[in-house]
Amino acid sequence: MPSEFGLFVSTDIAKCSGCKACEMACFQSHNIKRNNVGKTVGTISVPVTPKLYVTVIETASMPVQCKHCENSPCKAVCQQKAISRVGSQIIVDEAKCIGCKDCLMACPFGAIALLPFYVGGRQAPQADSSGGKVAASKCDLCYEDPEGPACVRVCPNEALRLTDVNEERKKKNIAAAEALAVINAGDPGRRALS
Amino acid sequence: MTETYIAIDQNLCTGCQECTKVCPNLAIEGLPHQPQKTNPDKCVRCGQCVQKCKSYVSIAEHGAAAYARVRKERGLPDAFKEPLFAAHFFSRIDEVKKALADPDLFTVVQCAPAVRVAIAEDFGAPLGTLAAGKLAAALRRIGFDKVFDTNFAADVTIMEEGSELIDRVKKGGVLPMFTSCCPAWVRYLELNYPGQRQHLSTCKSPQQMEGALFKTYGAKLLNVPPKKLYSVSVMPCTCKQSESARPEMKDSGQRDVDVVLTTRELAWLIKDLGIDFQALPDEKYDSPLGDYTGAAEIFGVSGGVMEAALRTGYELLTGQPIPAVDVTAVRGTNGFRHADVQVGDLTLKVGVVTGLKHVKPVMEDLKAGRLDLHFVEVMTCPEGCISGGGQPKLICDTDAGEAFGNRVAATYEHDRGLPLRKSHENPSVQKLYADFLKKPLGHESHKLLHTTYCGDPKHH
Repeated sequence: MPSEFGLFVSTDIAKCSGCKACEMACFQSHNIKRNNVGKTVGTISVPVTPKLYVTVIETASMPVQCKHCENSPCKAVCQQKAISRVGSQIIVDEAKCIGCKDCLMACPFGAIALLPFYVGGRQAPQADSSGGKVAASKCDLCYEDPEGPACVRVCPNEALRLTDVNEERKKKNIAAAEALAVINAGDPGRRALS
Repeated sequence: MTETYIAIDQNLCTGCQECTKVCPNLAIEGLPHQPQKTNPDKCVRCGQCVQKCKSYVSIAEHGAAAYARVRKERGLPDAFKEPLFAAHFFSRIDEVKKALADPDLFTVVQCAPAVRVAIAEDFGAPLGTLAAGKLAAALRRIGFDKVFDTNFAADVTIMEEGSELIDRVKKGGVLPMFTSCCPAWVRYLELNYPGQRQHLSTCKSPQQMEGALFKTYGAKLLNVPPKKLYSVSVMPCTCKQSESARPEMKDSGQRDVDVVLTTRELAWLIKDLGIDFQALPDEKYDSPLGDYTGAAEIFGVSGGVMEAALRTGYELLTGQPIPAVDVTAVRGTNGFRHADVQVGDLTLKVGVVTGLKHVKPVMEDLKAGRLDLHFVEVMTCPEGCISGGGQPKLICDTDAGEAFGNRVAATYEHDRGLPLRKSHENPSVQKLYADFLKKPLGHESHKLLHTTYCGDPKHH
């Protein structure tokens, strides 16, 4: 049964090396059709604009990416209705985005960046044609890709995982129950009672 | 001062240390989550770190102006639009453009076999597309006066190296003999096993043989003074530039190869000049120094030099053609594999190493006197030159299996499709020997095509 809640990609910070393979794969998967990006770096002719952001601190690193919040503050503040829920994912429609930055301010994790928006190898024009368009860029869980999130597939350290919180909770519940079952089984007094 | 060939940009490196996992000589130093540095005294310049690195100049992190600044720092043309990564090699496009623009210079170019099975990828073609004809056409459009081919010299290498092996076997010379085509391997051996140097074949690599022939035999044929001949090579390799700069590589009287571009740099040059690669027709390489057989083409894959040597060596030793041209026993991708090949009365024991990290146990066996082989091929990169540090860089390493597999398949396909598949059958090589070299291992060969790797490797 599909999760009622939005799936998201979680990181095992102990495994992440901070290599940015996820950022490159993310950029590639979203620009194959839009900007003719192939499988080699030589096919890239536009700036790399990922939808997740590897963050390196002194002792660790991890990609920060959208958690697809149930009560999404970004979606709530977007007056252009450029952010919507598609299935259980929160998706930005770059065509509608005016670059007002309200979503960037609203997101508690900094999971959204404002980045140049390129189509067909060129930066799309602003509404009044006065310059290049920028748009909010954030994880869409590769919802158009049947193979699922590209970042999860390419991580050399298997640090990323597509996470379903319901499944996660059930697993933990079962583990907790099993741990208790062992304790109970080892108590002869309790066994005598049952 | 040691010239730097490969470096890691301290402003870009996140300290992920993924590159340290592929560095075959522990040449990358630094703490986790801190920028890493290459140690130039240990670096064998294989460029596998360049292939691995994914930490790029980012608009979100470094700002919009950073890209143009780093591009300029690295001497890249304004038309260059690819992402710039922390681990990088230094581009020599500018030197080539200057030479092409100089009316006093006669420019000749050679391309390694692995270039033609990969370069089209950077123009959007499927991974491992064979583009030998388009590559020749592109080099002509760029403006090289003659478009020759490293493959010609690969055929010459087989004549020389095959003869050297037979000589060593028959006369009780130092065995096993190791191939010397791969300069990163040669450097690794010099740095780590200097006492085993006599096991290296004295043959220069095909690039250096071709370079030495350009400025001697070629200069005579073209009627161009050697000093006016500017020799460019295009390689899948980030180490070939440093090989060409070695003090030994001046046997023509000048530097034999003036400058080396990687496959990726050639793609940048083609884009910079506005040439539509995919729309180019198939053209031929110039004769005679661009004529080649299938045996030369397979130098680009692991086991290829061995197979090419066996195709010719069999005939040189027995006087009979090898029963099966495809010597599948030495093909494959395992790090170290060995086979017994029956050559007349002789059971030739051969080994193939691919990926320099697999060579250490082999060298330790050699030192301990346990390596019972006649001939060993060593290539630094994971699956031979087709996976070299200068080849088109994959956006996702998860595509490496497909990329390398397709490039290998394209190489063998090219070999099968060529009318001649044994080096000694190359009529232009036969003519080279008849008119100029006289015989393999002869006086001229010794002077131009063989070398003694000398000096302190730290200085080159």
